Amino acid sequence: MKKIMVIALVVALLTSIFTGCSKPEETPVVGQSTEAAGSAQGEGSEKVYRVAYIARAQADAFAAWLANAVMEEAGKYDNIKLDVFDGQAADDTVNGLIENAIANKYDAIIVQPNNGEAQRPYVEKAVAAGIVTITTNARISGIEGASSVDADPYAQAAVNAQAAIEQIPQDANVVVLLGPPGNFHADARRESWQKEFFEKRPDVKIVGEEIANWNKDEAMNFMETWVQANSKIDAIIAMNDNMAAGAIEVVKGNPAFAEILAYGVDGTAEACLLIKDGLMTSTSLQSAYDLASSLLVTVDKLVTGQETQIDTDIDCPLINQDNVDQYIEMHKKAGALQ
Amino acid sequence: MRTLDKQKIWSDIKSKYSIYLVLIVLVLVSWMANRNFFSVGNLSNISTQIAVGTILAFGQTILIISGMLDLSSGSVLAFSGVLSVSTYVATGSLTLAFIVGVAASVGCNMLNGLMVTKFKTPPFIATLAMMAMARGAALLYTNGQNIYQIGDYVIFGQGKILGVSSPIVFMVLTLFITWYILKHTIFGRSIYAIGGNEEAANASGINVNRIKMVAFAINGVLVGLAGILFMSRVNGGMPNGAIGYEFKALTAAVIGGTSFSGGIGTASGTLAGAFIVGVLDNIMVLMGVNSYLQQIVRGAIIALAVIYDIWSKSRRTKPKVVNVEAK
Repeated sequence: MKKIMVIALVVALLTSIFTGCSKPEETPVVGQSTEAAGSAQGEGSEKVYRVAYIARAQADAFAAWLANAVMEEAGKYDNIKLDVFDGQAADDTVNGLIENAIANKYDAIIVQPNNGEAQRPYVEKAVAAGIVTITTNARISGIEGASSVDADPYAQAAVNAQAAIEQIPQDANVVVLLGPPGNFHADARRESWQKEFFEKRPDVKIVGEEIANWNKDEAMNFMETWVQANSKIDAIIAMNDNMAAGAIEVVKGNPAFAEILAYGVDGTAEACLLIKDGLMTSTSLQSAYDLASSLLVTVDKLVTGQETQIDTDIDCPLINQDNVDQYIEMHKKAGALQ
Repeated sequence: MRTLDKQKIWSDIKSKYSIYLVLIVLVLVSWMANRNFFSVGNLSNISTQIAVGTILAFGQTILIISGMLDLSSGSVLAFSGVLSVSTYVATGSLTLAFIVGVAASVGCNMLNGLMVTKFKTPPFIATLAMMAMARGAALLYTNGQNIYQIGDYVIFGQGKILGVSSPIVFMVLTLFITWYILKHTIFGRSIYAIGGNEEAANASGINVNRIKMVAFAINGVLVGLAGILFMSRVNGGMPNGAIGYEFKALTAAVIGGTSFSGGIGTASGTLAGAFIVGVLDNIMVLMGVNSYLQQIVRGAIIALAVIYDIWSKSRRTKPKVVNVEAK
């Protein structure tokens, strides 16, 4: 009897945890599908195209944001039914999902690669099968017949680097936080900082450079150590906002680092708040909404035969003190901020 | 004879305290390598940085001693952490947020316990399943997005208690609790007995299933606390946070001398194991060692520390006495 009660209590507790807590906001999630408004229509209605969206990883905050934005955007199209799949940040899973989508004869497949080169042969297979294929965030370039929608990672870092040339003081000490090695966006952003900033400012000294894998907690640990080793750090150069926010968390409220500059990429809600509070200098927006909107326009044009191949980049505007309010509003509308 | 005694005492010290000797040598080498290493600020940083992983490691130590392990601790940390953060954002109550965080983690661990005791699932499989479920639940609940604007919640992980960083205080507190449980309670003696020989423990009247459930419950409290500290420290509810922390915790426990075959391990050894990894990471960053090289060095030092520990223990048990008697 006692054992049964224990089991019942545990099940009740877990049930309440998993189901009882209402979600902060009801938005589509990875693993769901959108029903095209036209799918319920009768004879003579517009053809409904089935689109598979293969997300890199459900656990990646930006990938989840993009998947949700794509779902929302797809809901606006009467002729598109979108299914979202989770690649779980594993090449074999993403590749398997592409193969499944080919076998299931989707009209279009959108792939957010985990590793472009690992997915290349599978994307080529989809193209060879006559399926409209689009790669995004990041694009796999050079596949004949495949289209792409992306944000240029070099340009994203460059807008910050160009601003930093004027802002970072002479003979400054800076620290650099890197994304995962081999990641297309991580490598291209670092290359951009090298060419657009470090080569033009040889007086600036890098006193610490580490791989924090896009993670806030890892960036915090590195920054805590750098602060011990260097009494003077003038700027934090991070390849994404999450890592910049982690480093800022360490020096926030420390008068010795009150004037520190900080740069990121992505334009996350947290980065916008930090810029508003004067703790972060700038970031560049990689808008999931813009990517999603551009992806759906591209899919629509390709499946309806208006065009046969499209390669396009979204803008990457610089967000700083002058214009941060409009981006905070954007995040509020999306429910990321209250 | 006196020389023999001295040798035996020295051998005993080496075998019992070898992992602390490794830590002391590492600290001394680090001190010589970089003058910033031994500053109060840096030592405080190392302790703060390892706190979350070490609290998880104390839970792992209890489970490993009893012949189990927990692969789900990183995911349960994230799940209970985001629930705790969102409770605070919704209600503004730190107490409620704390209770929800710990309760969620205990709930997940009780489920682990049930799978292991009631359905005889190997702990490796049961906690592997929970690892996937808890991470999925954290992502589903938050829709994969971080929770920001968490206000005073940061006090748990960024506050100070009597001038000491709060994660360090919680780490020391959980060290003493784990030490006390292992050393001075019937439960503690029972888990050593179960880990040493489960059938013998059962035959001697120990309620093995109940002890295992309690072990998971204690692990749940520790994981829940770690989740609250982690989210508070990073100033946000991060459903994808703490990935791989279960391995950090396992590493600290095993380096600290906890035997994977069960029945052996101490809380202080686990703390030493966590410090070895923490000091190593810290000194390599201070010295600007290449990031890729850091991974190689970290792996090599961990292997060497464990090899030395095992070697020093095995030396004590085998040849010396035989050699002396032969003379």
